[in-house]
Amino acid sequence: MSRFSLGRDFDSEQARAFIFAQFAEDYGRMTSSASTATPLKHAFESRVADVKSPKSDINALILDYLTMEGYPKAAAKFSKEANLQPQQKDNLIVARQEIKQAILEGRIEAAITSLNEVDPEILDKDPHLHFALLRLQLVELIRQCNGGDINPALDFATKKLAPRAAMNADFLKDLEKTMALIIFPHDNLAPELDALLKSDLRQITATKVNEAILERQARRREAAIRELVKMRAWAETSARLKKKDLPGRIDLGLYGEDNEYNENGHEPMITT
Amino acid sequence: MTNPFQHGHPGDPISSAGLPAPLSQRRSSYASVVSGASALSRPSRPNFHHLLNPSPDSETYNNLYSTQRNSRFDVGTTQGRNGVSGEDGLPSMAWQPRLGAGLPYFSRAFEPYICKDPLFPNGAVPDDGFNSLLPAASNPVFLSPSYLRGSIYLQKLEAAHKARVAAEREGHAAKTQSGTGLASGANAHPQSSKLPAGSHRGVQYEVVEKAPAVEDDAAVSPLPSRWNKDDKDPNLDVLGDGYEVKHIGRSSNDHEASALRAEHYMPALCGVYYFEVSIMNRKREDTTIGIGFSSGTVSLQRAPGWEPESWGYHGDDGHCYAAQNVGRPYGPKFGPGDTIGCLINFRLGHALFTKNGDDLGIAFRDVSFKDGKGKLYPTVGLKKPGDHVLANFGQQPFLFDIDGYMKVRCTRNSEPSGHIVVTSPASAPGRYVTEELSFPCLYPSSRGSLCLPTLLNKSFSGRGDTKRSLCRLFGSRTEPLRFVIQPPQIIARHCYLHSILYMQKQQKMISEDIRNADTAKLAPPLNETELIQQLVLQFLQHDGYVETARAFAEEIHAEKQALNLDASKDIEGINIKDDEDANNRQRIRRAILNGDIDRALKYTKNYYPKVLPDNEQVYFRLRCRKFIEMIRKEAELNLLIEKKSTARVRQGEDDEEMAEADTHSSWEDQMETEDGTDSAVLKKLSHEALQYGMELRSEFDNDPRREVSKHLDEIFALIAYPNPLKVKEVAHLLDGTGRVAVAEELNSAILMSLGKSSRAALENVYAQTLVLLEDLRQDGGDGAFVTVQNVINDIPKPTLM
Repeated sequence: MSRFSLGRDFDSEQARAFIFAQFAEDYGRMTSSASTATPLKHAFESRVADVKSPKSDINALILDYLTMEGYPKAAAKFSKEANLQPQQKDNLIVARQEIKQAILEGRIEAAITSLNEVDPEILDKDPHLHFALLRLQLVELIRQCNGGDINPALDFATKKLAPRAAMNADFLKDLEKTMALIIFPHDNLAPELDALLKSDLRQITATKVNEAILERQARRREAAIRELVKMRAWAETSARLKKKDLPGRIDLGLYGEDNEYNENGHEPMITT
Repeated sequence: MTNPFQHGHPGDPISSAGLPAPLSQRRSSYASVVSGASALSRPSRPNFHHLLNPSPDSETYNNLYSTQRNSRFDVGTTQGRNGVSGEDGLPSMAWQPRLGAGLPYFSRAFEPYICKDPLFPNGAVPDDGFNSLLPAASNPVFLSPSYLRGSIYLQKLEAAHKARVAAEREGHAAKTQSGTGLASGANAHPQSSKLPAGSHRGVQYEVVEKAPAVEDDAAVSPLPSRWNKDDKDPNLDVLGDGYEVKHIGRSSNDHEASALRAEHYMPALCGVYYFEVSIMNRKREDTTIGIGFSSGTVSLQRAPGWEPESWGYHGDDGHCYAAQNVGRPYGPKFGPGDTIGCLINFRLGHALFTKNGDDLGIAFRDVSFKDGKGKLYPTVGLKKPGDHVLANFGQQPFLFDIDGYMKVRCTRNSEPSGHIVVTSPASAPGRYVTEELSFPCLYPSSRGSLCLPTLLNKSFSGRGDTKRSLCRLFGSRTEPLRFVIQPPQIIARHCYLHSILYMQKQQKMISEDIRNADTAKLAPPLNETELIQQLVLQFLQHDGYVETARAFAEEIHAEKQALNLDASKDIEGINIKDDEDANNRQRIRRAILNGDIDRALKYTKNYYPKVLPDNEQVYFRLRCRKFIEMIRKEAELNLLIEKKSTARVRQGEDDEEMAEADTHSSWEDQMETEDGTDSAVLKKLSHEALQYGMELRSEFDNDPRREVSKHLDEIFALIAYPNPLKVKEVAHLLDGTGRVAVAEELNSAILMSLGKSSRAALENVYAQTLVLLEDLRQDGGDGAFVTVQNVINDIPKPTLM
């Protein structure tokens, strides 16, 4: 990789090329004709290039992520391919993944059953988690009846949710909001209510459940890679606030070397 | 020139008996030295030894070595004390290294103590011919105080140190060859200076000691590690090892004292710096010693604290002095047997002292501590002849629990404790959500800090000093904070409340900020979960973990499908291309990780014929790794044989008890045959390894690159051990992690040759975060204790199979 610095051999032609390269970069695309000169690297970029990123650390991050967030097949393959010892027993990861998958598919009752098998105490000890799951189940029941028979949903709300909501003001508010879904037609909901019907709620609940299990299994809630990514975001924001000398945009290099965004979409590696 | 100490107690060095009592109760958590492979424990291995290294047999070597070692200490120490040549008539065995004395030189268990020896800090053998075989053994000491572990400062310092050692070694080798024998690099790091060989040691050592301490501002400034012989009052004498100072002149006037500084300033970058000074005076009369710090320009005829840009705590009155002749009452008096510590918190801009391990509370607050521009040096001022102090710059465990201070650990044990409830100011609701901070206890008010009784049961908006100090703690100067102290308990013992609460607060706030960081801007339009999935997937593909990538893609796809509420929409799958290239790279990696270097070389030659010729460094690494694998194989077999024979011995003993000589001979025969096969294999293995080693050496012998010869020397050192797996200094060379490193190096080279980035996006994230944090840390500010390493350390260690 060649890069040049502002040194003796910095001549006007290179300067022009550099300015052009900057220009091209600012407008999002680098044309192939500009690649005759490598854009001058910001001091920050060269420092980043000089920093070591030990593979052992990166591999640990990957295995940790696959384990913690419940990707048992990938975790097993990775520990084989990278010659690492598994972080958690396979069956534990599989159990968490099954619960996660059930929640994501909206099979809440199945999820609660499996959760009780994995850890019979967890829901008793965490009423918020239990309520969140039951509320999601109610949402799913309402979704299923969509304009039809609302009795199963009402039944469920009365039997399972009402007694809990009576004890806690927050629960009550959530329950009331959810019950509003029965009354209003789903195609024209207030954003607040519409959000309940989106798949995000499943995702959020699944994450909550996974974190709760993890905390009891491993005393950690989150995969380390999440903290790293957050730390990266925080550090950039703070450094910019402190007016540190940084390039206009710090690219992660997710889409290849040249800061090129793939025109067909943002996930160039995904093909149908 | 006489030295009463030396003649009064010949052969009685400042052994542990001579130290103040508390010194023996060191904190065990502390290990101050990171040393390279040490020559100390090196048993020789005659059968291979002579092949690579024409030297006397092991017995001779050992004897030679142990006497040499002692005589060197003799020379070094007497030298230091006299300041002239070593002719003071002490018999060469009389003076022994302070802590290493009497230990068997091969004992690993005592290494940390031996390592602390100032002259040969890691127990390295001075250059006597063995070093040519084992240069790794002469790595000089690297001071690595436990409380700075994990800090970027120390990482930088370590890197700079390694580079310097490497450069020095080269310079040193060259000079030794040319016969001048001058130790090089002494100006950069006095502890790293080595004694050259030959009979002129004394003179040469003198030269080393007088070399001026040059500080390179551009580089990472080193930690203070000893007193500066060139920056002292003439009345003072720095004793041999550079830690002890003695007053040898006449009594100073009332307004005078004799001071000296350490040879480096305390780097503000490290956030917190701490050192301790023990009073070694023999007489029990009142001691007039001042301990503190000062800038490089302050007069050395004055005690620390009397002059501008100097601060000190004085033993005769227990007062602390901040840049003026008048002090203020601060702590107890101190004298012989006491150990006084001095801590500067550059982040918070304050300094405090400790006495015999107890924190005395904040002594000074000064903005000038904060910017670090003042370049403050550890300083002591002595007044009377016989005043005698010993400094601990981190070469030994501290009495004060500095690790605890750094860890901000609030013990909630049997101590009486209370807690403060902090309510947010109206202008910033939610900043402190009625937080309860527990603490073991509070300072007595006489020390200028909080006193619990004054706050008991009060819910107040704050007034006067108490309010100010509490507001300072919680970072608000203008807003009235509401504090409720409960429960009402009177607390006598002090703690580090002010620092702890502040740091806790700060750390909490930072980690809170990090937790709430907005990750949406990193790679729009991806949200955090999607971004992480992409990072992981891209890494897996980039590094050729094909099967993992495929499994992961399937699992993500299943999730996406589950979340799809719109049946008419089809979620597109992720198709991991059956990338022949990725498969090849994975095959090569697999071979290396299995230790099969030949196979990896074969694959690489087939798939990427240009990579190895183009990347000679990688090729070299692979060849070396092959040698290491051969040694490893041999060592493993060796262990196995050993295990068998111990098992047999045990069995033999049992047999003897049961029956006498009859059965005896039969299993002896059996042992012989078994031994025969095993040792034949062993012999073959070691022969092959040796053969290969010779080939390797001849292939690269003429290579001018330093790292090549260095690495060769390093791995050939393995031959010198009967079983390198059992020697912790070299066992790491055989470690499986070495395979990973080689495999990744080769993988990067292949990627580069294919015109792909050698780094995956996740690695960029990692490296960028490191650099950004470094920027944030520059002023010793907020980011000082946030490190990427901490994130990595949170991951439970998966060990290599």
